[in-house]
Amino acid sequence: MRWILFFGALIGTSICGREKFFGDQVFRINARNGDEISKLSQLVNSDNFKLNVWQSPSTFGRPVDVLVPSVSLQLVKSFLASQGLNYSVTIEDLQGLLDNEDEEMQHNEGQERSGNNFNYGAYHSLEAIYREMDSIAADFPDLASRVRIGHSFENRPLYVLKFSTREGERRPAIWLNAGIHSREWISQATAIWTARKIVSDYQKYPAITSILERMDIFLLPVANPDGYVYSQTKNRFWRKTRSLNPGSPCIGTDANRNWNASFAGKGASDNPCSEVYHGPHPNSEVEVKSVVDFIQKHGNFKCFIDLHSYSQLLLYPYGYTVKKAPDADELDVVAKRAAKALASLSGTEYQVGPTATTIYPASGSSPDWAYDNGIKYAFTFELRDTGHYGFLLPASQIIPTAEETWLGLRTIMEHVRDHLY
Amino acid sequence: MQPRRQPPPAPRPRGNCPGAPLLALLLLLVLRGAAAAPAGPQDPRRPQDAGLSRGLLQQAARAALHFLNFRAGSPSALRALAAVQEGRASVNPKEGCKVDLVFSTERYNSEEGEEHLGNCSARVFFKTQKPRPAINVTCTRLLGKRKRQQEDYLLYKQMKQLKTPVDVVSIPDSHGHIDPSLKPIWDLAFLGSSYVMWEKTTQFLHYYLAQLTSVKQWKTDDDEIDFDYTVLLHEFSTQEIIPCRIHLVWYPGKPLKVKYHCQELQTPEEASGTEEG
Repeated sequence: MRWILFFGALIGTSICGREKFFGDQVFRINARNGDEISKLSQLVNSDNFKLNVWQSPSTFGRPVDVLVPSVSLQLVKSFLASQGLNYSVTIEDLQGLLDNEDEEMQHNEGQERSGNNFNYGAYHSLEAIYREMDSIAADFPDLASRVRIGHSFENRPLYVLKFSTREGERRPAIWLNAGIHSREWISQATAIWTARKIVSDYQKYPAITSILERMDIFLLPVANPDGYVYSQTKNRFWRKTRSLNPGSPCIGTDANRNWNASFAGKGASDNPCSEVYHGPHPNSEVEVKSVVDFIQKHGNFKCFIDLHSYSQLLLYPYGYTVKKAPDADELDVVAKRAAKALASLSGTEYQVGPTATTIYPASGSSPDWAYDNGIKYAFTFELRDTGHYGFLLPASQIIPTAEETWLGLRTIMEHVRDHLY
Repeated sequence: MQPRRQPPPAPRPRGNCPGAPLLALLLLLVLRGAAAAPAGPQDPRRPQDAGLSRGLLQQAARAALHFLNFRAGSPSALRALAAVQEGRASVNPKEGCKVDLVFSTERYNSEEGEEHLGNCSARVFFKTQKPRPAINVTCTRLLGKRKRQQEDYLLYKQMKQLKTPVDVVSIPDSHGHIDPSLKPIWDLAFLGSSYVMWEKTTQFLHYYLAQLTSVKQWKTDDDEIDFDYTVLLHEFSTQEIIPCRIHLVWYPGKPLKVKYHCQELQTPEEASGTEEG
């Protein structure tokens, strides 16, 4: 027995220190009696062969798996033959196997991060996104819950994921908004990836863990579900809601011109046929009103981030005026830090600045409303790219985009956590 | 000096440079390291001016680039904007906006990791009277002339080999995918669109090619490629999607011939994007 226990010890520090295993093989050796075991132990203990025992039997008669470095192959084979030890080669090239596995792993990482085969590296239907939200909440019931905050014009539910580590408290909160312009598909895709990221990383990584220990996060991946469905089924470039405009054959309001922040000001149109039609009055769109009502009822939001595409910009108030916001200096510092963090992953460059002068004037926008309602940390991300694919961003860029954006989001959330007011 | 103010983008701003309507205004804005560089420094004296003029320089760079791409007539030598280095603008409400600028470019079809930057200097005149900006631009070479000719000819051969009629639904598709065999068509479509985007770019409006939506005709039996197609242009800052019918004739090394017609006015049926068909 002691021999067998002895086998259990992992020898081969030389193996552990190595990183590559080109030509290394794994032998499965059958020791059929005590005599053979002692010969095997000789082999394994010997410094000359630099073997590493993988599978040592706890009971007599089971095979022993041994990693044999390529340099020792001939010697070990000779030794085994001379001692009459029976063996087979179970792995002929360890490095090859590791490389394949690596590839497969990377492939799978791109494929799915959840048990029910939701491919985060692809664009999905509304139903699939809603199902995955439900799945996330089911997988992490102590952290995440799917909350219905209202419905769309065509009566689709508006679902939000709430991430909270403490029930019964109305903690300072962060609102992550996505998909308000339905054709900006990378926005919804990034949002659902981010949802999975939050639950996966909680209690594994310090930053998100400490953020969630102090604050709640609310994530709305599809703020405009009617528009999203329409962009999937009828018109890929649909931007607005799908509400009817009395007296006009044109449909929809620009949900990001419909907020009560200099409503009907610059950068919006009073023509229902325009892509930037602001709607008949502020919050006329039920999709917008639902969010406004929720946030106001909650009363303790400190941060509002809206995800859009495209242009690679990180913007802060104001859009409705070129006048400097009171907190512009601080927001600029935070935004620059976030853009730098984002760029650190793949070199994706974002421009930073106030909305009106960095992209264009836009009144009635969500971050302006949030800011003017006491939510100091209000930002807009215009995600990839800068015009080559525009709205039609290839699915292969979803995960890289989501991963780099996460670094930017986390930077902002860390700052909020450290500067609660 | 009064800061320039941009008029609202909707319904459809005309190409006038704004300024105090009663005064002939000469505004010289010198901006270094502006525009596309990330977190570029703002002029501390006039941050609003810096922002507005940064936008103007970018507009000028875009116009210059479209013109450059069109004039080069080479689908393999297409360029994209990298960064605006510096520039200055002078505004005259009667005549228009003159912008002098320096900017860097990269290959439109850059390979993974490839970093080839070209430098360009340009004078862009956004005229009040004539809609199309007048452009003088010179750039350092990104591709050697010989290499460009070879690549153009390669593309040309690929195009000739495509089976007609070309079965194109949308390029790229909704998920951003372009079939590799159809890539040459996309590049040629982009080349023709550059002409259109040059003519339509003003100091307030700029464009990106959103999608190739149909091919009416793809003729390659003669030497030249005869290409009749429709694209969707994405217009900033109105956010409108504009269908344009384009007809071009191309042969490697020869100047590109383009005719086009865009759906300009928003009729109720076409507004907010078109339906299929």
